[in-house]
Amino acid sequence: MNAAIVGIGATDFSKDSGRSELQLAAEAVKAALEDAGLTPSDVDGLVSFTMDTNAEIAVARELGIPELTFFSRVHYGGGAACATVQQAAMAVETGAAKVVVCYRAFNERSGHRFGQVQTAAAANIDNSWSYPVGLGTPAAMVAMFARRYMHEYGATSEDFGRIAVIDRKHAATNPNAWFHNRPITLDDHQASRWIAEPLRLLDCCQESDGGVALVVTTAERARDLPNKPAHVKAATQGSGTDQFTMTSYYRDDLTGLPEMGVVARGLWERSGIGPSDVDVAVLYDHFTPFVLVQLEELGFCGRGEAKDFIRTGALELDGSLPLNPHGGQLGEAYLHGMNGIAEGVRQVRGTAVNQVENVNHVLVTAGTGVPTSGLVLGQG
Amino acid sequence: MRIGDSLPEWHVEATPTFVISTALATRDFQDVHHDRDLAVQRGSKDIFINILTTTGLVQRYVTDWAGPHALVRQVNIKLGAPCYAYDTLKFFGQVVGREDQDLTIEVVGRTGHGDHVTGTVRIEVPA
Amino acid sequence: MIDIEKEAARIAERGECAPRLARDPVNLPMIRNWLEAIGDEHPGYTEVAPPAMVQVWTMAGLHGQRTLDDPLGAMMTVLDEAGYTSVVATNSDQTYHRYLEVGEQLSVTTSLEDVTGPKRTGLGEGWFVTTRSTWWVGDEAVAEMRFRVLKFRPAQKLAPEPEVHQAPQAIRPSVNRDTQYFWDGCNQGELRIQRCGGCGLLRHPPGPMCPECGATKPTYLVSEGYGVIYSYVVHHHPQVPGKQTPFVIALVELDEGVRMLGEFDGEPGVGQRVEVVFTKVDDDLTMPSWRPRADR
Repeated sequence: MNAAIVGIGATDFSKDSGRSELQLAAEAVKAALEDAGLTPSDVDGLVSFTMDTNAEIAVARELGIPELTFFSRVHYGGGAACATVQQAAMAVETGAAKVVVCYRAFNERSGHRFGQVQTAAAANIDNSWSYPVGLGTPAAMVAMFARRYMHEYGATSEDFGRIAVIDRKHAATNPNAWFHNRPITLDDHQASRWIAEPLRLLDCCQESDGGVALVVTTAERARDLPNKPAHVKAATQGSGTDQFTMTSYYRDDLTGLPEMGVVARGLWERSGIGPSDVDVAVLYDHFTPFVLVQLEELGFCGRGEAKDFIRTGALELDGSLPLNPHGGQLGEAYLHGMNGIAEGVRQVRGTAVNQVENVNHVLVTAGTGVPTSGLVLGQG
Repeated sequence: MRIGDSLPEWHVEATPTFVISTALATRDFQDVHHDRDLAVQRGSKDIFINILTTTGLVQRYVTDWAGPHALVRQVNIKLGAPCYAYDTLKFFGQVVGREDQDLTIEVVGRTGHGDHVTGTVRIEVPA
Repeated sequence: MIDIEKEAARIAERGECAPRLARDPVNLPMIRNWLEAIGDEHPGYTEVAPPAMVQVWTMAGLHGQRTLDDPLGAMMTVLDEAGYTSVVATNSDQTYHRYLEVGEQLSVTTSLEDVTGPKRTGLGEGWFVTTRSTWWVGDEAVAEMRFRVLKFRPAQKLAPEPEVHQAPQAIRPSVNRDTQYFWDGCNQGELRIQRCGGCGLLRHPPGPMCPECGATKPTYLVSEGYGVIYSYVVHHHPQVPGKQTPFVIALVELDEGVRMLGEFDGEPGVGQRVEVVFTKVDDDLTMPSWRPRADR
């Protein structure tokens, strides 16, 4: 694609921001524009998540962005993350806009908590098959997949725990991470309480307050801006057969994430690279079991082999596929995947706190268990 | 003691007795540190730890780890969320600088409400 | 209108206030009280004081009054009058030039270093006031502190949110034209599976158009109510309205071939045989759930 991420910005990540969601959005967008060397008057497009409470026009008012020619939203919770960049990239490529900012900001810990049972969600007909029977939290919905995955492939709670240990290890050396300086051991993971068996507390991501924004423009424009651009090599969404949101339980098989398979095919086809060309993987990690399944769907290992792949040390910073060097959403913060895209940009720039050497291609994925999206970012 | 070394995590249970006894031991007689009714009237959730105690805890966290022969030269702290009675204050630390015998340690103290204190402590350790 | 910056400059210009003496010399009883309260078992404080105690020696005490030339007090008064009535400390940076010995008599001087604002903060609009204090033994400076407070106008308190009445009852399903037959069936003790009137495809959850043949004439058949556990979850946290944790939710593959969720009463296992039971929630709602299949 002929587009690049040229600016990234974020607020602090906390458990109680003490400010409105709109202020968080405005602060993140402002920081991203400053990072990009652009001003609000350069912006003519805004993209966010359907779930974001901050209207594009409200964000534009706060920043003093004068006119917008493109504004768009993407559905399905965290599955939207990489798709916001896809929307922005398509907009700048077609000329619908020149500079597009993607943003996501919320008080997801101090305000509306996704980890609690949202009684109102049962108003959705699809959810009427799950919520009323007591299946009402994202953790429990993922646990249903995880139990079947364990049954079919012999994976264990410890295999899930290794993902948490890696994320927390990386977060421990990231000063922006909530769990900075707080690594865990596999024993800590095994000792943590059940949330929804087979998921333990340390299999579940954080709940966070904060905001992240990304500035997208054309590759040509990017050349004149101060930062090394992170080129969008490929971006795609993915939805699979018989797709539901979090409860795709009615497919033949419950051990895969076919929607991520759709994303994988699209990314490899359009970027011209394959799994072995990926230097850093920023995989969506709201719950550990789906990181294993993603490794399989994306082609880094065979079906059911993720547990063995992880044990080789491949996901360490010096391994063949460094995973979530910022600490992921288990370690850094839960910003609906947008902080992972920012980390991808830093890895391409060479400015990450846990920088991997010689990064040519970064893979970033969005929310799992829902219709999702993915990105390949790379050098020019 | 090298750059990157982590200090063991340390938990302080901020019982009312702890909040009050430390406030008095630091000669801080402000009511918000010992009188819950007045603290609540002033908009707080409960009585909370005073700054001089936070400074003392940060110093203790570092000297407990560095040993009695380390000399404390500087304690710089930034204060965040109050640490209320019944909170657990969890300390984390890491060596972030070393020049000969001079060590700089970054310290964070957190409660469930967020960071109560972040700061750095500079100590001198025996050769 | 008070010109805060001008007042600050006036106070800063006065420089250091007169030295204020500590009530007592550095002494062992206070050191030991402090160590006891903090819980510090450091063995070295028998002849010298813990450095972090430096400010303790010169605290004003229970009935302490600010001295008239105290710059922090003066600045607080100015800001109070300007409507910035609340205060919170934000930074304390202490440097200790040497350890203080028991018996030494301390004094402290303070000057106003900096006043910046107005700043918008999470607490409300306010001014950051920075002072610098120096502790002395005779004419030797033994410790210094830069201290910063935020003097702010409290943000308008939001009206307290009305207590949300957490319905203890179970969460109710939404029902529409496409799903009515299912819930009606439960009320009548029948587990109904949608069956396409065109091609006979069995489907759950149901929908208005058959994905196989495109027909829009769904009917249903009544399931025998037997199946096996395909997967399950034991839910522990958080609380779920209408449920007592922990409880089990099972995804059951019915003998007719479709899968269906429901609460399971028993010790679960993948592959376990189950049968449906109907639980009446109230006059309008009956929920299907599962139990281990009785031996026949």
